[in-house]
Amino acid sequence: MLSDAETLRYSRHLLLEEVSESGQNKLKKANVLIIGMGGLGSPAAMYLGAAGIGSLVLADFDCLEVSNLQRQIGYSVDGVGENKAELMKQRVQALNPEIKVRTIVQKMNKSQLLMELMLTDLVLDCTDNMKTRQMINSACVEAKRPLIIGAAIRMEGQLMFFDHQQADTPCYHCLFPSHEEQALNCSNSGIVGPVVGTIGTLQALEAIKHIVGLPSGIKNKMKLFDGKSLDWQTFAISKDPQCAVCGDNQSAGIR
Amino acid sequence: MQVFVNEKKIEVDDKSNIEQLLLRLGKPLQGCAIAVNQEVINRSAWRKYKLVEGDEISLFQAIAGG
Repeated sequence: MLSDAETLRYSRHLLLEEVSESGQNKLKKANVLIIGMGGLGSPAAMYLGAAGIGSLVLADFDCLEVSNLQRQIGYSVDGVGENKAELMKQRVQALNPEIKVRTIVQKMNKSQLLMELMLTDLVLDCTDNMKTRQMINSACVEAKRPLIIGAAIRMEGQLMFFDHQQADTPCYHCLFPSHEEQALNCSNSGIVGPVVGTIGTLQALEAIKHIVGLPSGIKNKMKLFDGKSLDWQTFAISKDPQCAVCGDNQSAGIR
Repeated sequence: MQVFVNEKKIEVDDKSNIEQLLLRLGKPLQGCAIAVNQEVINRSAWRKYKLVEGDEISLFQAIAGG
């Protein structure tokens, strides 16, 4: 049940047939883990907090730097030097005191992440490096948790959704099997703020849709965003039977 | 035969597989993903996947930034 204050706050959701009161109640009951509070995590955390996700867990071990402010729009100069998950918690709670927000400020290993996943309905990968992305993927496959992945660099973005609760779902490792490959990141390649913001915003949209029970057009797909032309390309991803993470003969867990 | 790689026309030997295409393009085998006609071809299938005339191939790199 929604309180009067919640009914007022979420009135624009309640007007929508796609959300309505039942969807808002599902959002209120949802537990969402967002890993990475950078350019993707900033809009994702704020939109999901604003939308009334009942329990948000924000993870980042990094402290805010001045060079983050060009794109990580949840922060201000006052926060430089402080932990980003803590800063984002304050930001989201100021936006919406009706929800619970918890932070994880230490770097997680896979077993800690697996523990967290027991309390989580949905994971957003908003991180900035390949090694962590592979670890999150492997843990979500193992714990059967839906995973919405965003990534951005220069003027390009990538968006994927793998619902590991469903059988025969491919995984990030089927697409990018080597976790040692040279992946580009914001520190070595640069990034335009609204490009990463667009992808983080769409991660939040997909999360809301998933929780309220709307079908997603991007499950088992890779969407590529070109920030120059604003064109999107869509590629279907199929499960690799030989995948070391989700395949028939999982050889080894990736840590 | 002709195929398209990221919308550019490329001449390749008939019945080339994806690995041969990447070698022909001078691309490293690590670090990129390949889709043929909008379907990602998993890396384990690159050697046996035979291209056909007019295939639209998309080559893209893993990006990790966020």
